[in-house]
Amino acid sequence: MVSKKHKRVKILAVILVIVLIAAIISGVFIYLGSQPERIVSGNHVHSQPKPATKGVVDAKNDYVQVAESDNYILYYYEPRFSIKLENKQTGAILESTVSDEKNDGKSNADWTGAMQSGITLGLIEKTTKTSDKLNLNTAKNTITTWYTDNGIYAEVTFTDYGITLGVEVSLEGDQLVVRVPDESIQEENENVWIYTLCVFQYFGYTYLDEQDGYMLIPDGNGALIYLDDKEGRYASGFTTQIYGTDVGITDLVPGSTLWDDYDTVVDSNTVLAPVFGMAHTEDQQAYLAVVESGDERCTIEAQPNGARVDYNRCFARFLERDVYSQPLSNSATASTTPTVELERLRSDLTVRYLLLSGDEADYMGMAKAYRNYLLDNGLISRQNLSYNTRVDVLGSEREAFLMGTTAVPMTTVEQLRDIYASLRREGVTNVLSVYRGWQDGGLYDTPIAKYKADSSIGGTSDLTKAILEEAEQGNTIYLYNDALSVNTKTNSSTYNVMKKLNKRTFEKDVHGQVYDSFYYLMPKNAGEGLAELIASMKQDNIKNMALDGITNNLFSYSFKGNYYSRTETMDMFVDSVEETSNGMNMILETPNQYLWKYASAMLDMPLDSSDYLYVDEEVPFLSLVLKGIVPTYSDYVNFEANKTENFLKMVESGMYPSFYVTAEDSSKLIYTNSNNLYSLEIENYRATIAQYDRELRALAELVGTSTISDHEILDNGLVKVTYENGVRIYVNYTNSSLTGDGVTVDAMSYKVGE
Amino acid sequence: MKKLRRYLVMGLVALLLVTVMLPFASYATTPYVTYTVNGYGQIRQTQTAYLAYATITKFGEEVSLSAPSDICIASDGHMYIADTGNKRIVEGTLDGELIKVVGEGVLQEPKGVYVLDNGDIYVADRSAEKVFIFNQDGELINEYGKPDSPLYGDEMKFMPIKLVVNDAGIMFVICESNTNGIVEISPTEGGMFLGYFGTNFATTDIMTIIYRAILTDAQRARMISNTPATPTNLAIDSKGLIYTVTLGNKSDTLKRLNIAGTNMIKGQGDTYADAPAAVVAGNHDNVYVADQQGYIFEYNSDGEMLFTFGGPNDDSQRVGLSKMVSGIAIDTEDRIYVLDSDLAQVQIYEPTEFTELMHHALYLYSKGRYTEAKEPLAQVLQMNSMFDYANKAMGRSYFQEENFNQAMYYARLAKDYDGYSDAFWELRNVWLKDNVMTAIILCVLLYVAYKVIHAIDQRNHFLNPIRRTYRRMKKNTFFNNLAYAGYYIRKPADGAYGISAEGHANWLASTFILVVFTIEYIVNKYTCGFLMKTVMEGRYEIASDIGIIVVVMVALTVCTYLVSTINEGEGTVKKIYTFFCYSLLPYVILTPVQYALSHILSQNEIFLTNMLQIVIYAWIVVIAIVGLKEVNNFTAKETVKVIFLTAFTALILALLIFIIYVLWAQLFDFIVAIVGEGVYRLGF
Repeated sequence: MVSKKHKRVKILAVILVIVLIAAIISGVFIYLGSQPERIVSGNHVHSQPKPATKGVVDAKNDYVQVAESDNYILYYYEPRFSIKLENKQTGAILESTVSDEKNDGKSNADWTGAMQSGITLGLIEKTTKTSDKLNLNTAKNTITTWYTDNGIYAEVTFTDYGITLGVEVSLEGDQLVVRVPDESIQEENENVWIYTLCVFQYFGYTYLDEQDGYMLIPDGNGALIYLDDKEGRYASGFTTQIYGTDVGITDLVPGSTLWDDYDTVVDSNTVLAPVFGMAHTEDQQAYLAVVESGDERCTIEAQPNGARVDYNRCFARFLERDVYSQPLSNSATASTTPTVELERLRSDLTVRYLLLSGDEADYMGMAKAYRNYLLDNGLISRQNLSYNTRVDVLGSEREAFLMGTTAVPMTTVEQLRDIYASLRREGVTNVLSVYRGWQDGGLYDTPIAKYKADSSIGGTSDLTKAILEEAEQGNTIYLYNDALSVNTKTNSSTYNVMKKLNKRTFEKDVHGQVYDSFYYLMPKNAGEGLAELIASMKQDNIKNMALDGITNNLFSYSFKGNYYSRTETMDMFVDSVEETSNGMNMILETPNQYLWKYASAMLDMPLDSSDYLYVDEEVPFLSLVLKGIVPTYSDYVNFEANKTENFLKMVESGMYPSFYVTAEDSSKLIYTNSNNLYSLEIENYRATIAQYDRELRALAELVGTSTISDHEILDNGLVKVTYENGVRIYVNYTNSSLTGDGVTVDAMSYKVGE
Repeated sequence: MKKLRRYLVMGLVALLLVTVMLPFASYATTPYVTYTVNGYGQIRQTQTAYLAYATITKFGEEVSLSAPSDICIASDGHMYIADTGNKRIVEGTLDGELIKVVGEGVLQEPKGVYVLDNGDIYVADRSAEKVFIFNQDGELINEYGKPDSPLYGDEMKFMPIKLVVNDAGIMFVICESNTNGIVEISPTEGGMFLGYFGTNFATTDIMTIIYRAILTDAQRARMISNTPATPTNLAIDSKGLIYTVTLGNKSDTLKRLNIAGTNMIKGQGDTYADAPAAVVAGNHDNVYVADQQGYIFEYNSDGEMLFTFGGPNDDSQRVGLSKMVSGIAIDTEDRIYVLDSDLAQVQIYEPTEFTELMHHALYLYSKGRYTEAKEPLAQVLQMNSMFDYANKAMGRSYFQEENFNQAMYYARLAKDYDGYSDAFWELRNVWLKDNVMTAIILCVLLYVAYKVIHAIDQRNHFLNPIRRTYRRMKKNTFFNNLAYAGYYIRKPADGAYGISAEGHANWLASTFILVVFTIEYIVNKYTCGFLMKTVMEGRYEIASDIGIIVVVMVALTVCTYLVSTINEGEGTVKKIYTFFCYSLLPYVILTPVQYALSHILSQNEIFLTNMLQIVIYAWIVVIAIVGLKEVNNFTAKETVKVIFLTAFTALILALLIFIIYVLWAQLFDFIVAIVGEGVYRLGF
């Protein structure tokens, strides 16, 4: 029995082992079998995938089809690493390199090479810092391609330079995703590094005016460059880094000034949304490209014809490494040497093209596609859209006094409540206010460590009482907090401030009357400071904050010999806003896209563009995206010279108006840093506020929570904005009355369509 | 890949080229800020005054510009451009349509162009050394070479670069390197030379004079010769007044010359362009100046700056910034046309609502419609209550309406001293008229009262208690010393002897006088009449005022004492302090008078208070010196010596304090650096 029993156990054990081995083997097979897909789908596995069999698709001679979706066919041409997208319904084509037929033969070998190459690289030599450009036509290379279910994965090696990178192209329905996985980038040569990287620079290009249409650039609220013949007027086009310049790398060079004192040139707008678009209106084919990852180190370019070559093209240029200038000594006049970043950008580089055709192939279609993209990916969420007129107040400023400074109270808490009372008498209720300069030490005493109001405006308890009591009346007071800037005069310690990559402390010069310059906090310290302040505010049950500084600045920095990139800064800012916004009511000052989801409202959003020569038309692109999702507030109306037009722009874009007021006369600010604020007195603005409130509130109530479904400019110049709920608003910016759709609108006026 | 620049009127032409209409390509954030100047002469930001409206890079289909150097908008509403690089004049409409090209084959280097109402085109040709005149059809009808008048100067070349022509056909020509002034040529007799006009004068600063005195001839020869600058550009307005701009001499930068060549602008030079390139008269008695770098200035007829905006192009390709401005013109709608020779384009700016309101007010005001002018002015002030120029105009309007109270209020806001004074004069006049009888009656009553009291006192001495009190007070040391101060300022020599030898030196009374002095000084400084006020309204720096007085008194006393002592002077610290304080008594006594006067005098009589001020200071200086001499028992010679030594000591003291301060600052920086380094290394 015993032996029998033993035997049975043995047999069972053997079977078990066999089953186990079989399971393991099959698991391994399944695992191995899934390898190519895994690479393609973005997992960071490094084993060599199995090459595709030749003969199935011959990619050596001409474009071959590699993927197909409901509406599009994706073709691929390996030697130039080029793709071609065909719309199955219309036959419209978007090509990523200049075809031989369309080559005008005017450019030299380098330019032609770049035009006909799906990948272009900028190189930098480590020691000499000389840069070079690489493309597939002029540099020796090998390309290995794997064919995936919905596209390709190719490994491109520039053999002479030891540089390898993998590019994955996949057609996902009406979206084309182009991605360079971070791990696929290899630099074997120790002296030559990747500087910049572009994939499909010419995707959707057109030659001169062969095709009607435009390129969309994310400048200000949005702007278009037409695809007409520019006749060589512009030597270059739009080239702007997403989320602004990196102050940790690029030195801020002061421009020339009037009488050596007065800065007259205004900075151009920051790119808040990492998008660009191309519309071929004749073919009714368009795309909106979203830079999905690597956006923090990426430049958007839109080059009209005449800028070097006669092709219109727009693309994203990723900055893998940057060059900063390293001073050779501590002296202020020390000579500098250009130095290349040791670490390259550690991020996948992804551009997602949202393809649009038919009626959707215009900037409105782009706006909708972008809106859906943001919503689908949780990058924005629907917020409370109720209308408020924003009336910001300036609390306390400082002016020089004897050896130090003294408070210049402009609006005390008591006066603020009087302002509300007087506005209420004018019929203005539900005011949203950002209280600037509420903190101990006045507007520029930053960073704010804890919830403590300046005694000159009435002190903390008054402020707390006002915020809580006014909330019951419907007026929301947000406390302004620049969580990034450190006043160099009120804070002498520099251990927690941001140092540039060249290890020099960053200082932002403001040429103020009282305070000359500001440091930036390091991201970690900025986050901690913010958390501390919020904790202290919560103790007093104060939950409204208008956050600035970390919402629209992004930089690389160095600390204790280590380098930190914009990616890390961005992640830290996102983390700290995410943590602190919990249970708080946060409105953000001109936020970059990665913070949009935390904003219950966005402040000081641009209504215009930066007035570039090559821009043909302004469109309120961001407003078309955000209206009906997140409330946006304009810049201050006070300082506008063309009030009527500015007002109409708010009507058109659905932005809410902003005013900046004080109880005291603004001439009191003449010796403070705020002496450029020349017109603030509430006395001058009460009537205007009431009027704006009346008209824009009425519009906002009509529109409700709907989004914009269409925006067009009729032939006579009348602007027509259509909302999801059917409300149509006509805006006339011209000096004569216009009629469109049977609606007559007076000169410089607007009307709601029936 | 430099293609021919083709033309573009943003918005307008794009409309023709593109199917989509774009009516508002010009509406955008301006790439520049606008500044104005307030009543105190401070530069202040204000609303954007002009927006970039359009850019013309090409006329018609074909005609583009090359290094253009002058622009003129004629009464026919066409613009004429001296297209220097292409040796021609281009005539076009204001929106960039080509009308015609003039002077091809004739012109060699057209640098200046001016067009008369009858359509005659005057061209200054530098290389041809001639002024050419073409008629409306572009035919050459006349030309003028170098004037043969001996007055012109035989050696002097004739290289015309800019010109304007008045209604009588007289040409005002700026010639390169002719420093005598603008050449004035009459069309009669083949170009009669009428003389030089609007000559600038060479200025000599004090350093140049010193250099000249000490340098050798050879060195002097090497100095940059001090010749007057040739005007850079000129313009003429509808009244025939000539405007010139000159690079170099600050105060001569902008001139407004009447027919006699007299400059009617009393310019301060603070708000003038650094490198003026062109000037044009506006439609509202205003004048525009363009700086080479792209700054555009608008001034009123008095040369006061209304706005400055624009700026140099930083290669970011933004509309409204310039590279090298060479000409400026203005159309009837106040649009500014700025010619850029580097960019070979005309940049057009249009006034904003704000500026239009301002111009409208200026227009109404110039037409004498003061009441109407107030309406747009009020709107301007509502947009920017600190726009002092509007405050000033508002004040002047009220003045014309004879609402002097309001006029005074606005003049004071605008720091318009003349306007304030005028309004005040009128108000005072009214007051005097109303109150003259009351005043006379009051005087008579006072006199009668005095007589009556005197008479009663004579009879029953009811004022005796007061007299006794007065006598008792005189025995009190404090009051005695105060009275003695009065004696001192009348007879400083005797008085100082008293301080020195008769025990009149004391701390209490002296300090009392010093305190009263300080109070009066502060009250006078901050609350005297507006016309006499030297500090900004609403500014109080009382603590630092007191600080300065204390520091000066202490330093003066200590230094004088130290110097006197080593010079065998007999003064003690107490004595020296006493006589210094006593010496301030004239100020204490007379300042209330001055203070009162400052409130009742207008600009015309303000010299009275100035005179009074001189009397006060002279008195103080004299008694202080005499006091110094007597207290220390110096001879006159010793006194002078001591005064110089004291001044020197004070200087050394100041220097010493400064050095110590700097050293401390260095030490402090060093400590901060060490701590910072430690913190950084340890990484807190």
